[in-house]
Amino acid sequence: MSATTAGALRLPTTRDLAGERGTMLAFLVWGFSALMIGAAIGPLQALNYGGINAYPWLRPVLQTYYQGLTIHGVLNAYVFTFFITCGLLVYLPARELGLVPNMTLWRMCFATMAIGTVLLLVAMFDNSSSVLWTFYPPLKGSPLFYAGMSLVVIGSLFPLPILLELRSRWKALRPGELTPLVTYMSTVTMLMWLLAAGGAIIELLFQLLPWSLGWTDTVDPIVGRTLFWWTGHPIVYFWLMPAYVSWYGLLPKQIGGKLVSDPMARLTFALLLVFSLPVGSHHQFTDPGFSPIWRGILTALTLSVALPSLITAFTIGLSLEYAGRKRGGHGWFGWFTALPWRNPSVAAQVLAMLTFIWGGAGGIVNGSWQLDNLVHNTTWIPGHFHITVGTASAMTFMGIAFWMLPHLTGRRLLSRRLALASIWLWFVGMVIFALGMHWAGLYGVPRRAWVSFLPRAVYDRVYGDAHFPLHLVAGGGVILWAATLCFYVVFIGSLLTRRLDRPEPIPFAEAFGGKESYTITEGEPVGIVAHKELSPLASALEHIGALTALTAVATAAAYIPIFWPFLHNVTHAHGWVVW
Amino acid sequence: MSDAADHDPFEDAFHRAAERHERAWVFVAITLLVTLLAGTMFFVVYDYGVVVRTDGFRADPAAIPAAPAGLVQAGPNAYSVQMVGHLWAWSPSPLHVPQGATVTFHVTSTDVLHGFQIQNTTVNVTAIPGVTGTATYTFSRAGTFNIICNEFCGIEHQAMLGRIIVDPVKP
Repeated sequence: MSATTAGALRLPTTRDLAGERGTMLAFLVWGFSALMIGAAIGPLQALNYGGINAYPWLRPVLQTYYQGLTIHGVLNAYVFTFFITCGLLVYLPARELGLVPNMTLWRMCFATMAIGTVLLLVAMFDNSSSVLWTFYPPLKGSPLFYAGMSLVVIGSLFPLPILLELRSRWKALRPGELTPLVTYMSTVTMLMWLLAAGGAIIELLFQLLPWSLGWTDTVDPIVGRTLFWWTGHPIVYFWLMPAYVSWYGLLPKQIGGKLVSDPMARLTFALLLVFSLPVGSHHQFTDPGFSPIWRGILTALTLSVALPSLITAFTIGLSLEYAGRKRGGHGWFGWFTALPWRNPSVAAQVLAMLTFIWGGAGGIVNGSWQLDNLVHNTTWIPGHFHITVGTASAMTFMGIAFWMLPHLTGRRLLSRRLALASIWLWFVGMVIFALGMHWAGLYGVPRRAWVSFLPRAVYDRVYGDAHFPLHLVAGGGVILWAATLCFYVVFIGSLLTRRLDRPEPIPFAEAFGGKESYTITEGEPVGIVAHKELSPLASALEHIGALTALTAVATAAAYIPIFWPFLHNVTHAHGWVVW
Repeated sequence: MSDAADHDPFEDAFHRAAERHERAWVFVAITLLVTLLAGTMFFVVYDYGVVVRTDGFRADPAAIPAAPAGLVQAGPNAYSVQMVGHLWAWSPSPLHVPQGATVTFHVTSTDVLHGFQIQNTTVNVTAIPGVTGTATYTFSRAGTFNIICNEFCGIEHQAMLGRIIVDPVKP
């Protein structure tokens, strides 16, 4: 069998692999550079809520809180996550399948998003586009901002054709077999993102860009807002699913165990594809304009999207327990403490999961129609997404960087201890920050408001009840500054350390039961075990084209009734530049 | 090839238990979500005032329909008021409301997006240029409530505060 395998799967040459590693490193460095700028600004906003207005000292770099907040949101939420994801979701599948991806497309993906980033940076740092990361019209940014945003979004779709081609090439080599798990998860993520990105692309190319260039005079604000949330909700899964790829596909190996259920991992991704798309307008529970019936349906769909995450909690929790018990952990919690906590990559991802339990619970509150009235657009909301994308995703990506940098560069990690310190500081800082943000939100403190610029008496009169939680916010922010500093010393330092004797392998995990597992050792595919018995669930989920079509139909069914009244009642709003 | 792993008794036992527990967990998760949905829907119907409803659209955001600046009596203890957000204030503010009154707010904006939130209440309506939305609340407690703009609207966003003064009913 090994002979036929070697013949069928041409292993990439050393030169191919060097090219893949170099491109992946470029994505990683660009993404984390964006986070470095964004995360450096973040604590200023936390201090703002604590009543400390640092902005007068920051001119001319930052004019206002709102300018800083725009840079923070755009760089962290879009640029950082898109670069990491578009790198990982090509690199990992290509290495898993042992095939060379279409390098031209992958490099064009990088170039498109990089040009977009530069345009965004120009438009944000000259204060011409302080419209925040949601850029709701009729606030009107500069054409550079919308052009940059368009390039970043369009560029982020390039991995999809690369993955589909890789998968079909592999399928031709191994007919009748299931797509290996990491490739499956990555492809489903990109298919989800293809359908999700439609809203933002229509909004940017047909509404905002022509309007900012002066080709059209007015926009319809509710249409822009609804298009934004068509993309804006599923984008959270575009942040989260790459982290799930690591939790399902890599982490079980890193902790010395196995993934306990390969079909459940596939089911999770399929459910995320179907349910994440039609629910975007739950961000608009407090908007007028569409029927309460649809709000009820959106509530039901939103709660449904919690199911794949609850399955993940079980499957990953059990995989952790399996590894912990194999490592000698006993009793109720012994398996948890027996995990390899000294490995910063593991610590980062396990702590990311812990915070995500809280994040998921908060998300259920936000998605529950009537509870949303209490928390909508209060600090509760950024509190929520700092422990989801800001910790579950970001800290997983940081954890990936800790093994991936040595893997890509062949150099050792600068300091394991400093890496661990950065993770624990991020975890503690984020937990304190998010606790304060959630809590203050219940007192009605609005999100993204320059409250420290208010006269002290007004700040105290309106937000006095929330003083203690607002001080937690500020304190958490200061800890996060320390975390960021530690992380970037490790990240940048690790690009310059001495070379390793033996390169770090990719920790591809194996699944339980042998049915779906494909044997991979030392990070190099050495042939995939033919399945003795295919899981009916996993086989059914191979039809990703049908799943995508179903999702497209569900999305259209959800959005046509929402857009219908808007299209019959058009508003012509002029632009405003008021920051 | 992986036969040795297949016959690891610990793995086998763990796997069998996992499959059993997995089914139970999926059942628990679905039950939990259905219960939460039922609870949400019950509250929405029970206190329909919290639901934001649509009151109308207009082509020109600045063309606000003429309305009295203040409360309009709509029933024995029920009132309505047109609440307009504009850069950077709420009109009317301060708004006097008799204690115990049920007030329906008709919220809109003449320029950019604003967010109409009455602190410590369930009232939270996006003020959208060109669309009017309504929400209803009964002010059973006397005192001053802050109106806070909770949607970014420019440089003075944080100062876009208003007040609702609930006057105590004379004994």
